[in-house]
Amino acid sequence: MSSAEKLITDAETLLKPYVVGAFSRTSVGVEAVVKREDLPPAVKALIDARWGYLSAITGLDHPWPKTAKPASKPPEAQAEPTGPTEDRLEALYQFASGAVIATLRVSVAYHDATLPTVCPIIPSATLYERELQEMFGITVQGTPETRRLLLPDDWPENVYPLRKAFKGLA
Amino acid sequence: MDTQQEPRKTFVVPIGPQHPALKEPGHFEITVEGEIVTAATMRLGYVHRGIEKGVEGQNWAQAMYMLERICGICSHVHATAYALGVEALAGVQVPPRAQAIRVLVAELERVHSHLLWLGVAAHEGGFDTLFMYSWRDRELIMDVLEGLTGNRVNYSCNVLGGVKFDVDQTQADAIRSAIDLLEPRTHHYMKVVTTDETLIGRTRQVGTVTAEEAARLGAVGPVARASGVPRDVRVDAPYAAYPTFPVKAVTATAGDLEAKFIVRLEELFESYRVIREILDNLPPGELSVRVKPRIPAGETVSRVEAPRGELFYYLRSAGGPNPDRVKVRTPSLCNWGTILATAAGHKLADVPMLIAGIDPCFSCNDRLVTINRRGDAETWTWARLRQYGIEYYR
Repeated sequence: MSSAEKLITDAETLLKPYVVGAFSRTSVGVEAVVKREDLPPAVKALIDARWGYLSAITGLDHPWPKTAKPASKPPEAQAEPTGPTEDRLEALYQFASGAVIATLRVSVAYHDATLPTVCPIIPSATLYERELQEMFGITVQGTPETRRLLLPDDWPENVYPLRKAFKGLA
Repeated sequence: MDTQQEPRKTFVVPIGPQHPALKEPGHFEITVEGEIVTAATMRLGYVHRGIEKGVEGQNWAQAMYMLERICGICSHVHATAYALGVEALAGVQVPPRAQAIRVLVAELERVHSHLLWLGVAAHEGGFDTLFMYSWRDRELIMDVLEGLTGNRVNYSCNVLGGVKFDVDQTQADAIRSAIDLLEPRTHHYMKVVTTDETLIGRTRQVGTVTAEEAARLGAVGPVARASGVPRDVRVDAPYAAYPTFPVKAVTATAGDLEAKFIVRLEELFESYRVIREILDNLPPGELSVRVKPRIPAGETVSRVEAPRGELFYYLRSAGGPNPDRVKVRTPSLCNWGTILATAAGHKLADVPMLIAGIDPCFSCNDRLVTINRRGDAETWTWARLRQYGIEYYR
């Protein structure tokens, strides 16, 4: 078994109790969907086993109905637990170990856009969580610092620049 | 509420965000008790230009030129990370000669960046002679990069599917002779930073980050490697031509500022070796392949080793002519955590060196306002804080 293959198998074993559905292989590793309440224990499982480090938290916006053509429907549309029939936001927690990236995908609806913090497990995640809050409007509950990190002081409340609907300030 | 009976023992020292002499602004609030730092927080975003959003309105080829402008020091690695990701999504094979030229430029960029850092760090430590020498030598590499690419800053070396220019014999010789000059100079700098008493006083056992902390805080690049955490994307997940021209990860164990000097200087030797090896063994062949303007739907992660550490790109295509999402996580963001965590317990005078130690892509600090307990404020310039640090250790 190659070292990359072993890392993937290890990650799958650690994350197995928390994932919804099956793991899927990506060009750079493995990914799986988790429910938001399972996010901290899943992260803790990886960190406690010293499986790599949190490389990034990537936010995605999936407005509904999708404006893209049906032919170009992105692959994870089927993977989302409840089906994307409403405006949803997604956060990808990307962990790196050697050549492998293990991605945890968490999806939340616009009207309930909250995620639990992972800072008690990974203190340095605070910067990533603050970025996610400001750019996508996902409230990260329990994150230690909620002051603005990137947007200017006079940026209006409840305007999230990386959402697809944002086309610039009036 | 603070009690009126007991005088406050701590001051908050806000540093930044603006200074015209430095490249990028950042804001730090350093809490001090007397001379000793007890806590540190920061604020970023003063040069946040919304590039991730901006590229969503560009086509795949245009986006690369915008992304290359994220950083003025390591522009090439941004374009390379992006190009490698797009090529993976498009399923094209880039010719080996193009990949080798990408690595060649990446290593030249690392040399210029590390020499730039050496100068900045020496300057913050009050050692301006070393600053001037290292920046003089850096010009050799800047000339080489300009001769090769036509530019000193945004080299614009990549196209989607390859590179724009070839390396001819004259250029190869120019690079070799620059490296031949730099190598003995680098040996000299190594001797200076490990033997000069004054500099050692500012670096040895200052800002120590243990391997455990560095790993836990997610440090990357030279900051992690100086603490003995062997994270190097070139080694862990070789990309472009690194499988053909492997590098070894340079590590140290001390984790202090001195180790950060040693690791970066050692990396220069490794870069010199790889640059020579590429020039001697440049694979023949084409410089680029065609990439269609529409990229098939999908998503990928592309990682490269920037001079400051792992640069992370997440790319997502909806099958259209422009990117659906580009996420960029630069290495400085990972390394800030090590300063915020280790500043406590250090002297205020060490803060400029601690900040310089991670080679932040360079967040600057301008006015420094000290607010004493009577509420009257005094404003310091960055120059004064730096001078204060130097005087303190005189």
